[in-house]
Amino acid sequence: MTTTYYPRVVRGPRILPYLAGATAIVGAIALFMALVWAPADAVQGDVQRIMYVHVPAAWLAYLAFVVVFLASVAWLWGRSPIADAIAVASAEIGVLFTALAIVLGSIWAKPTWGVWWTWEPRLITTAVMLAMYVGYLLLRSLSSDFERRATRAAVVGAIAVLNVPVVHLSVTWMNALHQLPSVLRPGPPALDGRMYATLLVAVAAFTLLYAYLLVARVGLERARRSAP
Amino acid sequence: MSEPAASPDDIRRGIGARRVLALAALTLAIVIGFLAAQSLAGSAVYYLTPTEAKQRNLAAGQTARLGGQVEPGSLRYEPASRDLRFVIGDGVSRVQVIGTGAPPGLLREGAGAVVEGSFQADGVFRASQVIAKHDEVYQAPPPGATPSHRTTSP
Repeated sequence: MTTTYYPRVVRGPRILPYLAGATAIVGAIALFMALVWAPADAVQGDVQRIMYVHVPAAWLAYLAFVVVFLASVAWLWGRSPIADAIAVASAEIGVLFTALAIVLGSIWAKPTWGVWWTWEPRLITTAVMLAMYVGYLLLRSLSSDFERRATRAAVVGAIAVLNVPVVHLSVTWMNALHQLPSVLRPGPPALDGRMYATLLVAVAAFTLLYAYLLVARVGLERARRSAP
Repeated sequence: MSEPAASPDDIRRGIGARRVLALAALTLAIVIGFLAAQSLAGSAVYYLTPTEAKQRNLAAGQTARLGGQVEPGSLRYEPASRDLRFVIGDGVSRVQVIGTGAPPGLLREGAGAVVEGSFQADGVFRASQVIAKHDEVYQAPPPGATPSHRTTSP
């Protein structure tokens, strides 16, 4: 006798379509600002526009790993399963956007620096951050016992957040090739006003995308856990 | 003889102590990690300034990275021989650099550069790789001007 398993239709959280709509609208505005409205850089020309995707991707990596930290602490504190679901969802999104930031930065670096990659502090620390969170996801696959897996992962997830300030400040601690922060720095932004506005809208669009992906992924995780 | 069963109060106290311990360990780990990263950062260098390179008395042929400013008026590139020459300085010392091939997109006089290679016996730095550095300032070109760097392949 064979048993037929029918896929369950999983309906995502109700807020999901609204997040998708908001992401699409703000994303379209950001795209227009980045490609049409903002001026090209005086020195770099149009290649500078990569900034409007590279910087938001790096921002999402920071944001995602800070959320992993908060969710990990919440799991250790209260053992609530939703905290663990948020941690794994955010870590996956963080890995995606860290890799994206590296690839986009590399595409920018070739025509400007003249190399795709060099072993300089910002690039090394970002690669280490990526490796640690890939390790975090691998660690999660080692144990099938829910409580144990969640606790082990939470300890790593809480400590690995150290990467975030290390990556961000690496350019100021050492002789670096990567430029210093233009916005998250002491003093006013070192950007043209229209570039700054464009960057902020692009960051908003990416943040909405993060919220969408997080909510969708957490919904998926809960559905998976409640599956028979 | 058997141990008396733990009361709900005991269990709660146990969890509370574990939480305090976990928090303390976490805080300690973060502080240690931060200090470690910072001290590691202080000892590792991506490049030497020309002054540091002179102080270290690098032997001819020893691989090194130098970083500094391309001295105004020193940048020359001969497309025929693919000979690239410029002086890199840090305000105190300067080093003559010879490279091969077209300069990277953003290499300009007065802007930063990082060169990989080694000193020759005559004190000239033979670069196997020339990397342009860009600072964190982004500006629109002045009215009527086109951006100086066009991103077409050299």
